[in-house]
Amino acid sequence: MSQTGSTTLAGNLGPASPLPSPKLQNAGLGALPRQIRADCRFYVALRHPSGCGALRGLLTCLCSRGLLVLAAHRLSHYYYVSRPRRSRTPSTIALRLLILVGRTLAIVLAKSDIYHATVIDEGVHLSDDGQLMIGPQRIGRGTIIHDRVTIGVKAGGGVITPSVGENVWIGSDCVIYGDITIGDGATILPETVLSMNVPARAVVAGNPARIIAREFDNASLRHSLATAVAETQFRQPCAPPVT
Amino acid sequence: MRSSRHVVRADFERYLGGDALSLRRACSAVLRYPGLQALLVYRFGRMLIAGKGRPWCWPLLPLAALLYLLAAAIVRACYGIRLFQSAQIGAGCSILHFGGIEIANCRLGDDCSIAQGTRIGSRSDARGPTVGDRVWIGAQARLLGPVSIGDGATIGPGSRVISAVPKRALVLGNPARIVFPGFDNSPIQPRG
Repeated sequence: MSQTGSTTLAGNLGPASPLPSPKLQNAGLGALPRQIRADCRFYVALRHPSGCGALRGLLTCLCSRGLLVLAAHRLSHYYYVSRPRRSRTPSTIALRLLILVGRTLAIVLAKSDIYHATVIDEGVHLSDDGQLMIGPQRIGRGTIIHDRVTIGVKAGGGVITPSVGENVWIGSDCVIYGDITIGDGATILPETVLSMNVPARAVVAGNPARIIAREFDNASLRHSLATAVAETQFRQPCAPPVT
Repeated sequence: MRSSRHVVRADFERYLGGDALSLRRACSAVLRYPGLQALLVYRFGRMLIAGKGRPWCWPLLPLAALLYLLAAAIVRACYGIRLFQSAQIGAGCSILHFGGIEIANCRLGDDCSIAQGTRIGSRSDARGPTVGDRVWIGAQARLLGPVSIGDGATIGPGSRVISAVPKRALVLGNPARIVFPGFDNSPIQPRG
């Protein structure tokens, strides 16, 4: 599959980016169940902000396509980062088959693809509606990414992809590209095209993106999956037409 | 007007980059790139439309049309790439990634590259955009309405193009503005 060296441009998942530092690298196979459990807990908390029973939570997780994409990515990230590629032992072949099935399911069910070198911390939410094409260097914990988001390299601008901090809220239809850093707790409103650094706790919107507020606490946005809050709170006047 | 065989060959060469075309490489490219699969189904549909004028292929047409509809439905459902026959796509087109691509009622020149989430032309409006050769269209761009895009233009990611774009211009933003008039997009063209 096209896991290796894809050229993506603002939409292409970067080619093999330099390996993340050892601190960022996720631990081995033993950490997978813990990470996936944290993802499920975060997802259930978002879907049912007022709490729910264990059975209902389990069913919610099983029906989630975003969690499927995330789990498939975690498996392939583990394989491509910490296993020798050319090994032909039965366990490696079984793992590769499992990754192929998971990735195909993610493509068919959620139209999503995540670059395998991306480091995703535990407890991240990816949208169930999919069409995500993301390949940042790192996604911090508590980040929420809505549907139709593209994160990739700048076309013709090198191989470095963005790095997303913790507790970031990314709205739908965003395009984020280039060698940039998004600070912790930043809010990126829907339909933003972003190619600049974002300081922590800032709010960006527009195409091209501008910072429209600073020191904004996005805890209320990240409390549930309702996007209406963002749109009403920061409604932007339309840009004047060019003559 | 080139024959459909040359058009399909140009598509394959675009996806294979500099490599020479061989059966093995062609098969692996088809398996690897959803965009190429969608494009091949679209070209098959074009061949059926051309076959309407040739009486010797009339007996085959009903079965082939059924096959085309099935394949197009599978591509649409699995990858979210919708290429309608009302669009005319030139040879050597390259569709990067998949998801949310909709191309209808428009004319695309040769050697264009299209990223994911792009919408070119609308299904309801017959007067769609006219796009030149070697145009590069970024992710989530929208080209709706009767605009004309010059050869070698570059449409940045997320642009909403509402007015004509001259040759070799780079446009960005909503609404799209010319940021760089003489931009050479050959280094960023993906393959081939």
